Amino acid sequence: MKGSILLFCVGAIAFVPTLVFAQTGSSNHPDLNGFWNNQYTPNLAQALGHEPPYTPYGLQRWKGVDTKDDPTGRCLPVGPSRAFTAPMPFQLVQGPNVMAFLYEYQTIYRLIYMDGRQHPPDIMEYPEFMGHSTGRWEGDTLVIDTVGINDRSWLDTTGHEHSAKLHLIERLQKVDENHLKWTVTYDDPVFFTEPWSITRNFTRGKPTDRIMAYSCEENNRDVEHLTGGTNKKP
Amino acid sequence: MRRYLLAVSGLCTGLLLAAIPLAAHHSFAAEYDNNKPIKFSGKVTKVEWMNPHIYVYVDANDNGKTVNYAVEGGAPNGLYRQGWRKDTLKAGDPISIEGFLAKDGSNTVNARTWVLPDGKKVFAGNNEDGGPAAKP
Repeated sequence: MKGSILLFCVGAIAFVPTLVFAQTGSSNHPDLNGFWNNQYTPNLAQALGHEPPYTPYGLQRWKGVDTKDDPTGRCLPVGPSRAFTAPMPFQLVQGPNVMAFLYEYQTIYRLIYMDGRQHPPDIMEYPEFMGHSTGRWEGDTLVIDTVGINDRSWLDTTGHEHSAKLHLIERLQKVDENHLKWTVTYDDPVFFTEPWSITRNFTRGKPTDRIMAYSCEENNRDVEHLTGGTNKKP
Repeated sequence: MRRYLLAVSGLCTGLLLAAIPLAAHHSFAAEYDNNKPIKFSGKVTKVEWMNPHIYVYVDANDNGKTVNYAVEGGAPNGLYRQGWRKDTLKAGDPISIEGFLAKDGSNTVNARTWVLPDGKKVFAGNNEDGGPAAKP
């Protein structure tokens, strides 16, 4: 009997650090786990202070943007930029080899691979709505590199678009227990003449907050009322 | 007493969270016309507490004719976190709406304020969708 108890205690002691490690990834890195609220940023240009440095093509697209073409009005995935700029929360789940962002908006996720792998060699030929992300720690800053984002999402509610050559570099820093600083750099040679960046802040939710199902198709009556001009992609 | 405390606590929560944004899954301008403001009072006929936005249908008198408006609100999850529930408004409840009509000429309305007969506002918050009175 004593042996069983001892075995249980030893097992429990061995298991606890495993749990902690699984949650935080490493005791050397900040624990970013939790329920976080985005800082709503409907127009990236307002956060930047001016319009982004458009290429002639990018400017032409911006001048012709029509909000009726908003992909999320048709319940399409939001893309990695808008997932962090919409007025919706997300759950961050931090593991040693992968970090998960579970977004309430359109009930979609991003996985950030932290195990040293490269992007898939054919990701640019077969881009995806949320792209492919790898991550690494630079000190206390989580740096996320994302490519292979298809051109079917918008960067914000206002309608800033991007191409499938968009390269996102995001830096997440824990300011304090209740705030994360997110700095994102948009590098897209099709739409912009040079990379540009903005910084936003995420705020921790209440202890009772939880991510809830967001089934956009449940009752999307908006789609039948969306009207406006046309600005279809070539 | 417990019920009273719960009610007071719920109301306080609602007031405290009034400034929290209500989620919009597309921009205001995609569907609504800020040159078509509308204000009316009537009775709730149906509540659709569903994603991506709640819809409350309201019968209102328009020059002697009853018109059924489809009134759009915020996303149910955000409203829930602010303390509102799917039975906050029920069929038969009187309500006053201020909002904007859809561009397409239908009786679809984007509500900016919902007011009960006693003056209490429900579904408070900013419709942060780029529409009128929305925060930038």
